[in-house]
Amino acid sequence: MEKNALVAAIGLAFTLTACGGYAVPTDRLIASEAATRSAREVGASNAPQAALHLKLAQEEIAQAKALMSDGNNKRADYVLIRAKADAELALALAKQASAQAAAKKAADQLNAPGNQ
Amino acid sequence: MKNGSMFVAASALLVACGTTNPPAELVQAQETYARVSKGIAAQYKPDEVHEAKEALDSAQTQFEKDGDSPETKDLAYAAGLKAQQAEAEAATILAMGDKETNEKNAQKQTIDSLKHDVSVERSKREDAEKKAAQASSDLARIAAVKQESRGMVITLSGAVLFTSGQSALLPGAMVKLNDVGEALVKGNPESKIVVEGHTDSQGRASDNQELSLARAQAVRDYLVSRGIAQDRITAQGLGSTRPVATNKTPEGRADNRRVEIVVQPSPGGS
Repeated sequence: MEKNALVAAIGLAFTLTACGGYAVPTDRLIASEAATRSAREVGASNAPQAALHLKLAQEEIAQAKALMSDGNNKRADYVLIRAKADAELALALAKQASAQAAAKKAADQLNAPGNQ
Repeated sequence: MKNGSMFVAASALLVACGTTNPPAELVQAQETYARVSKGIAAQYKPDEVHEAKEALDSAQTQFEKDGDSPETKDLAYAAGLKAQQAEAEAATILAMGDKETNEKNAQKQTIDSLKHDVSVERSKREDAEKKAAQASSDLARIAAVKQESRGMVITLSGAVLFTSGQSALLPGAMVKLNDVGEALVKGNPESKIVVEGHTDSQGRASDNQELSLARAQAVRDYLVSRGIAQDRITAQGLGSTRPVATNKTPEGRADNRRVEIVVQPSPGGS
């Protein structure tokens, strides 16, 4: 039992060393993918600026995955920092666009001749 | 701002030492942050602005540590986007506020327009009431007008209308009755009109009764000829049964010789 644990520990250490000592950026990957999903759900594809950042986020996620499968976890992590920022900005821009559209609709109703 | 000058100082130091210039990502993030931190985000999303500031500081530290490495660029890029995110979230809050304000105003507009409709209705009604009041004040100028429980009573002196003992209208009477007719036509078309003939107590009661009816009928017929609907107006002879003054003096008898036009209240109102 103790021996097994030791072997596992050595094996893990070896793996980490092989990967340059950098952990697989799973959390950041999950967070980035979640943010892109939210952005899509809020309608980021319909707002030009949001759509642009959504597209960048998706490309960066794909790039990060490729880097991870090459074992370059550190580069992947930093690319995912970009991906997460792009996805979160896309989400914020999509929300802004829909809030502004709703405000405009209310303003149009206010100024509609039928309502004077 | 303080960070900006620190950044410039750090850049100058790096340049002076012959090291690299800051990457475009860092310069741009710095500019974006400077703009955002002075805008609406500072008021509506201070926490997000603070996060952007921290991200920018990390990028700065990274740059000082290993120059314009890909990691410096990544961190700077993300910092700039974080600042933009704060700005977008603040704009969202403002837009939501605008929407609410506009909706409230639209609601108010609807209520105001309803209120306006009500006030238009009210002023129409007031106009109609004013017209009716005008009609009765027109009458008041022509003849003695009294409001009694049986209705509005217009009293015309017999001397003005007829020669003694006759029931044919005098020319002067016609002029007066033209005005009365006009006022009655303008007034409430629903109200019924009764023309009552009255005499003094001199002579035989039956003669007086006959004369009073003939006079009432003459007035009624004349008013019909002036546009009052036939079915609205009737004539009644009351003889000397309802004196308004004493029959013992000439003045009293003159007051008793009269024609009264009674405009009865309509079933729907006054």
